[in-house]
Amino acid sequence: MNKMKEKYFHSVVLDADRCVGCTSCLKVCPTEAIRLKEGKACIIGEKCIDCGECIRICPNHAKNAVTDSKEILKNYKYTIAIPSLVLYGQFRGNVGINEMLTAVKKIGFDEIFEASVGTEIITNVIKNHILRNPEKKRPIINSSCPAALRLIQIRFPELLPNIADIETPVEIAARLAKAEAVRRTGFSMEEIGVIYISPCTARMTSVKHPIGIKKSYIDGVLSMKDVYGMMLRNLGSNTEDLTRSTKESLLWPIIGGQGEPLGIKNYLAVDGIHEVIKILEEIEMDKLEGLEFFEGMACVGGCVGGPLTIENPFIARRRMKTLAKGLPDSNPSDEEIKGQIEMYKSGFIRLTEAIEPKAVMRLDDDICKSIKKMEKIKEMLKDLPGIDCGVCGAPTCKAFAEDIVKGENRNAVCIVKTMKSFNKEKPQS
Amino acid sequence: MEDIKYVFDVKKDDFVRAGETSSKVKKILRELGIDSSIIRKISIAAYEAEMNIVIHSTGGQIVLEITPGVIRITANDRGPGIADVELAMKEGYSTATDRVREMGFGAGMGLPNMKRCSDRLYVTSSEGTGTHIVIEVDLKAGEQGE
Repeated sequence: MNKMKEKYFHSVVLDADRCVGCTSCLKVCPTEAIRLKEGKACIIGEKCIDCGECIRICPNHAKNAVTDSKEILKNYKYTIAIPSLVLYGQFRGNVGINEMLTAVKKIGFDEIFEASVGTEIITNVIKNHILRNPEKKRPIINSSCPAALRLIQIRFPELLPNIADIETPVEIAARLAKAEAVRRTGFSMEEIGVIYISPCTARMTSVKHPIGIKKSYIDGVLSMKDVYGMMLRNLGSNTEDLTRSTKESLLWPIIGGQGEPLGIKNYLAVDGIHEVIKILEEIEMDKLEGLEFFEGMACVGGCVGGPLTIENPFIARRRMKTLAKGLPDSNPSDEEIKGQIEMYKSGFIRLTEAIEPKAVMRLDDDICKSIKKMEKIKEMLKDLPGIDCGVCGAPTCKAFAEDIVKGENRNAVCIVKTMKSFNKEKPQS
Repeated sequence: MEDIKYVFDVKKDDFVRAGETSSKVKKILRELGIDSSIIRKISIAAYEAEMNIVIHSTGGQIVLEITPGVIRITANDRGPGIADVELAMKEGYSTATDRVREMGFGAGMGLPNMKRCSDRLYVTSSEGTGTHIVIEVDLKAGEQGE
């Protein structure tokens, strides 16, 4: 088990004591990565994309995310918090951005660095550089959603070349924050801790196992759920002037916020992992001709719907839009944009490592064996009830047959089939 | 010899289910571990064949056959058949009604796309008997799509 953990680290984990084996999570998992084993919903490491759908649906809160604790601040001489912009939508009433950021700082951080610095840069570089490259495969797909990226690796490997090879806002912010802090404080890279306050389970996984880069500059991840309570107590006094966010940068993590500021007609923004899958199917089949940019976000509403948020995504979105109204427009100078494009070209904020496909859906590495297994599955399916009840522990009858043919989940039994044959054997009276 | 065959019925004018067959084909090929560029070619070709049956025919079947060397899609419909196959192979040529075109189908790219996405394409058709299309893509190593 420990070996498995190392090979496939996931932030999403099961609290076995709370799991009652209800099958809710089996059904919503977009990659069929959950099986009931001895009545507990176990995650298949290689298939999980950390989208957090299971965390959201579990009525018993048995699915959770591993994040760091506040104690991690003690490991560093100088600490910088990068709160996800979504944090600004979590508080009801008239809480201003500076008030919230001050409350974060009071948790024990030396400095706050806003993720909006990263969103500005991404918009500028995609708009003024990546979109202008005719060689880049269309539609260009956003790299910002780590769950969507893992989904593409597993289910849409043909679309990997379409991914915009630019880092995410937090990662860019982390790099800039660290570089600046080293210059200003004299501490070394290792002495400075950059801590992300995350609404996202998949981002947590990406910090430990980055996609597209060698190493993350984020040193720790706190769950927004955990930070919410700490902040609540700190709100309201000695507010510092901390925010530099602009309208566009604040709206960036809300669905449509990435495509809209690019100033192009042919972009499509889709939220919710199951809808993202449908549209990626269409893109893979060349059915969306002329599409320039695709923004796919696994959570409903975009990052405001993240599994580690407190507020309802629609309310959070409304709140962020109201806050954005009071912010200045983003007006980058040509010089700034030029500098940002240089940063991208130099590799500083670019995805420099190849994003490899992961063929986890295949039955066997050898195609002849695959065909044999497929034939067996086909035969078994004729015999199975096809009602996808999940009682056997697999999400569908087909998945049940696959598991048996692959030699996994050997103890699984189809209870519907057993009952039917039992009824047949009963003497007629 | 290991090979496997799936048969799917395709109904005329059923635009709600249109595309389901090619999605199923794609899923099967993915599970078999076929190279993703080949999966893409086959599923585009299967989609075009499926849509041709939905739009132009009175109904038919799509058959998927997989052997270790070749993937074959066969599309059979019950008519009305193509009067001039050579003309139908031309990009942009279509007999689709305005209604169908409004919905974004019938651009006259069906057969040309099938040709583009296959290693071999055989079309036999005559008015009154229906259309029979065979699309083949080779699975030999090193022979991978565009």
